[in-house]
Amino acid sequence: MIVANYLTSAAVFCLGLYTVLTRRNMIKMVMGLSLMEGSTYLLFVSLAYRARSTAPVLLNPPDGQSPAQLAHGDAADPVLQNFCLTAIVIGVAVTAVFLAVVVRIAQHYRTLDSDDVREMRG
Amino acid sequence: MAGRRAAVVEREPRHRRALGLLLTAATAVVLGTGFLAAPREHAPLPAVARYALVTALPNWKLLEPVNEVVYGSRGFDTFGETFLLLAAVVSVIVLTRPKEARAGYFGEHAAGEREQREIDPQRPPDAEERETREADEREQQEQDGGGPQHPDDPDAEPLGRHAERAESLTVVARTAIRVAAPVLAVTGFYLVAWGYSPGGGFPGGAVMLGVLLLAYAGFGRKRIAKVARPKLLETTELAGAMLIIGTELLGLLVKGSFSANWLPLAEPGTIRSGGVVQLFSVGELIEVGTGLSIVVFAVLGVRQDWTPSEDDADGEDGGHEGDDDEGRGQGS
Repeated sequence: MIVANYLTSAAVFCLGLYTVLTRRNMIKMVMGLSLMEGSTYLLFVSLAYRARSTAPVLLNPPDGQSPAQLAHGDAADPVLQNFCLTAIVIGVAVTAVFLAVVVRIAQHYRTLDSDDVREMRG
Repeated sequence: MAGRRAAVVEREPRHRRALGLLLTAATAVVLGTGFLAAPREHAPLPAVARYALVTALPNWKLLEPVNEVVYGSRGFDTFGETFLLLAAVVSVIVLTRPKEARAGYFGEHAAGEREQREIDPQRPPDAEERETREADEREQQEQDGGGPQHPDDPDAEPLGRHAERAESLTVVARTAIRVAAPVLAVTGFYLVAWGYSPGGGFPGGAVMLGVLLLAYAGFGRKRIAKVARPKLLETTELAGAMLIIGTELLGLLVKGSFSANWLPLAEPGTIRSGGVVQLFSVGELIEVGTGLSIVVFAVLGVRQDWTPSEDDADGEDGGHEGDDDEGRGQGS
């Protein structure tokens, strides 16, 4: 049933994409981008999940399993968990840059409406 | 009730709804098709994941394969990510930097006045120019450490005239923060140093930012000014970056491979168990903790360099703190 998580992640991504494409308020566009980022976290963690597995920690394995068994596949995927960590840090940094740009645009043009920011056109 | 609330909601115009819907639907179809074919919970782990699980304990003495991936087998990727974070921090610093006293650097102020005298000696500075210069001087005074002068009657002061300063919270909140902040800080350091095994630099850094933000929310900017100084944070961040570069480069020099382990490995579950993982992780703690703090405080403290708009020529807003491209107002 983990496929429900995958589809939820796709739905959240599409919600963010629709927000970015159709909204004119730049803060809402940044929120849309954050939604798209968030959907990747859900996807990575869901892809890492394995049925009847433990967290990838090689200590105190469940009854009947040894650390060696864990190491041979009865654990969640650590590489995808690492991808998720990476995505979170990059997401925070990118959101901060976008917000700083939006604040500067708001201060310069006195509007958050992207349609009013047209000086670079042409 | 609902009708009244709906009336208050701002009607925001949207654009390209049909095109947006079409593109979103197409993306949904592509993602859905791909995700339905993706490996599910019963699929065997990919080879790279099995490699991390198998090598974490014998090769790195780490109980957490995720840390082995972050700082070991994908260490070079983490190295690049660290400098992506640094690039983002530098971008935010540049974007949020307060307006510099450019007259002192480039002589634009003097050149503009000279040009003004040559071209049109009779024309006195207009109201907008006078206002801009006053705002410049006021901002310069604030930057020089004078701080804004508090008016006798704050209600008479127009909003946005000075950068607003945060006030501290109530005694209840401040006491709670005094209790919680040290506990959180110790937890953050514990995540980095120990956990199941060393390597919690990223979450530890985020916890450090949380502690700093709690202190900021509770006590205001003045009380944390000694710690949250840009110069101190920026120097510390670059020291963290140097630590990471040094740790990784020594692997190349000592073991012949960038990001290889060159420290002796201790028993699993101890503070030195991961070799260079601990050093790398401490570097990440510094890098992430200070980097995110710089970014957050830079965005929080963006100076109010509002461009005067035509709409508030009546001065109602009062936020005429100057113009980003100030050369425009001079010499013309």
